[in-house]
Amino acid sequence: MLERDAAKYPFLKEAVRLVDALNIQLNDLADPSFSKILDRATERVTEAIIEGVVEAKLEDYMTELLSYPVASMLVSLKGDSFLDRRYALAEAVRIYFLLMKEDSKTLFDIAINEFNWDLQNTKENYDGQTYPFKLFFNNYLHSSSIFHEDKWKLVNRILKNGYVLLQQNEVARLIQGEVEMLIRERVSNRVNFDLPSPIKLKLEEISKIFEENRRKIGAEDLPLEVIREAFPPCMTYCLEGLLSGRRASHMERFALTSFLINVGMPIESIVDLYVSVTDFDEALTRYQIEHIAGLKGNKTRYTPPLCDTLRTHGICRNKDEICERIKHPLNYYRIKAKRVIASQPKENGTNIINN
Amino acid sequence: MLLNLKKMVQTLSIINIQIIYFSPIFKLLCALKLDMESDWGSTKFVVEQFSKWYRNNAKTIPAPTEIKLREFAFLTFEGRTMFRHISFKDEVVLHRYLIDNAPANSYHSSSYYKHPDYDMNEKGWIGADLVFDIDADHFNLPCQTEHDKWLCRNCGKTGVGKPPELCECGKAQFQTETWLCEKCLQAAKNETQKLLDILIQDFGFTTKNDLVVNFSGNRGYHVHVRNKNVRYFDQSSRREIVDYILGTGIKPEYIGFNPKGHGGRSILGDEGWRGRVGKALYDFVDDSSSETIKSLNLSRTLTQNLINKKSEFLIALQNNHPSFILKKFAGRDEERIITDLDTILKIAIKQQSADIDTVVTTDIHRLIRLPNTLHGKTGWQTQTINPENISDYDPFTNAIVFKGEEVKLFVRWAPKIRIGDTTYGEYNEEKVTLPLAVAIFLLCKKGARVIN
Repeated sequence: MLERDAAKYPFLKEAVRLVDALNIQLNDLADPSFSKILDRATERVTEAIIEGVVEAKLEDYMTELLSYPVASMLVSLKGDSFLDRRYALAEAVRIYFLLMKEDSKTLFDIAINEFNWDLQNTKENYDGQTYPFKLFFNNYLHSSSIFHEDKWKLVNRILKNGYVLLQQNEVARLIQGEVEMLIRERVSNRVNFDLPSPIKLKLEEISKIFEENRRKIGAEDLPLEVIREAFPPCMTYCLEGLLSGRRASHMERFALTSFLINVGMPIESIVDLYVSVTDFDEALTRYQIEHIAGLKGNKTRYTPPLCDTLRTHGICRNKDEICERIKHPLNYYRIKAKRVIASQPKENGTNIINN
Repeated sequence: MLLNLKKMVQTLSIINIQIIYFSPIFKLLCALKLDMESDWGSTKFVVEQFSKWYRNNAKTIPAPTEIKLREFAFLTFEGRTMFRHISFKDEVVLHRYLIDNAPANSYHSSSYYKHPDYDMNEKGWIGADLVFDIDADHFNLPCQTEHDKWLCRNCGKTGVGKPPELCECGKAQFQTETWLCEKCLQAAKNETQKLLDILIQDFGFTTKNDLVVNFSGNRGYHVHVRNKNVRYFDQSSRREIVDYILGTGIKPEYIGFNPKGHGGRSILGDEGWRGRVGKALYDFVDDSSSETIKSLNLSRTLTQNLINKKSEFLIALQNNHPSFILKKFAGRDEERIITDLDTILKIAIKQQSADIDTVVTTDIHRLIRLPNTLHGKTGWQTQTINPENISDYDPFTNAIVFKGEEVKLFVRWAPKIRIGDTTYGEYNEEKVTLPLAVAIFLLCKKGARVIN
């Protein structure tokens, strides 16, 4: 493989082998001769934070290639799951732009050799458009699973005999999806070791930029108080249903309970809420709520289901403009809460259903 | 913790269990404590009959594939506890269990586990079949008012069909009694056939290698997809498949209905949802009276065109791309076109989608009825059927396994029911002598008791 290609697609197995062969150690990076690589690695991460996309700088392809694993290491060291996702997406978008310029052979090579896709040529016409590719639906479901636009839903694709028809740019986009997941997984492996000071300084630089941009890129925490007006329409629907005594599905109760826990409603209040409006057994209700909160059982704290899941189970209701922008009810809450807080005079207070 | 678990298990078995859903324990919150009337159903008699049947027939029950990796679970007639986290090393041990215990209801996990007999958190999930549940309980059918009843445990009000969301007294504490008839089982079968069509034509599964179809033994059908490709699907992939089967999230512009679009051929001959929506739209317009079309509140232009230029519209649908049809018949107000399309598509999708239970398919830790065992609520057999012959399958004949002498019963109430070639009932507070198969059915439904 050419180093230039490796620099473009450093996640490829061959590119990784190429980098491994150089056997660069952590302490080497502290050496001034590697400063270019360390600088570019830092730049990759800051580009991801600020711009949301990493630029492809292929003139100095060795620096470009070697800075990728270093950048991944820096993100991993930072240890913030929001940054993990942002960085993975930014690198994946870089790759998407590069893939758009490639011929179909390169797409085939990557799809088949790296991701084991069952991708084939075809020639079909629908709505006056030609579809030159078809992809086995398993591979499609995996690679499209992090996209949330309507056009990527399987139901909006042409699915024939197990294969999804695709155009070339769509194949590139799906590869982007795979790459994003690959990088996400890689950087979310938390590492911790003593760092040479040049690297420590770079990490501090990244932290500073991340903090400065946190608000702008939507990584801030949820408000401390529960703000009833900031609930997304689906959760309002569930809550009102519960209060009116309507029989609710399991999924509906699970969604509401996990939502209430995650926005910080005390478990006591949730138990009261259920017991007061239904004939549920208090001890059993408490056990189940504590289970969802991660205090019982397998100690997993459940987050509410994604918007897509709520839609599947018929809980997504009365969508509004914020819904169009988000994939998760907690993100709706985050955005709306900010607006509610901004629009209300302090002394008036918000309608808090907390104790 | 132990005590709590025990309590949960007990509560679970009280619910009217069609398929047991256990994974987020939270499900149990819904446990309305229905008090089964213990004197109805002559449990002892039914247990004896089940035992006899299992002694003679257990060996004909094939084990699910990869039996060692499956969890099994059973309910008895007497107790309310579910016996679960059971594993069998082979078919012989499974048969022995069935003979020894003659369970009222038998289940196996759709999942494969490293240690199926361990507690939930230690089982070591490997994968799971893709399973679909079609249950007439979830449909709204007119026949439900003929054979289903409810009682409000708070105020004593009674009614027929499905209970309302809330009783007039303001509570939602209902005891329900559900029976079945040819209409609901036919409706369930129709949905199953639509499901199979989608699984075969769109997803490329084959009846020979991948699909196992079972009559549930009560009010529905189960379809298992056993295929290495689907086994490792996570919940999000399974959710996408559910959405596909139900047509959830279809946007008209991606199946050709784009007022801004141009080019292309008619969608009537297309595969997948494009063709389905096209055909449903054709049938709907063809079959609808002017009143029906007016009742949809579509735009004036579209309403008039669908009524006055019906045949022209149908010909266009056969020969032209939807974007052309929109331009020709739907007027110019694009926003209005989109609302109208939503209205029409809803009807088309409802007609063409297969009404599956969304929770069952997305759950990767599901317990599902063990095929070819007996169903404790009917005494019928949960039967594996050949998907090729599903249209000829008659549960009222094929799933009836009890044969024997007549039994004297006092029947509390039972709606009309056909068993084999004979129709029995309706019965109301009366003594009757019935063939064993019919007696077992009425007893399992708790509608009668044996008298001497």
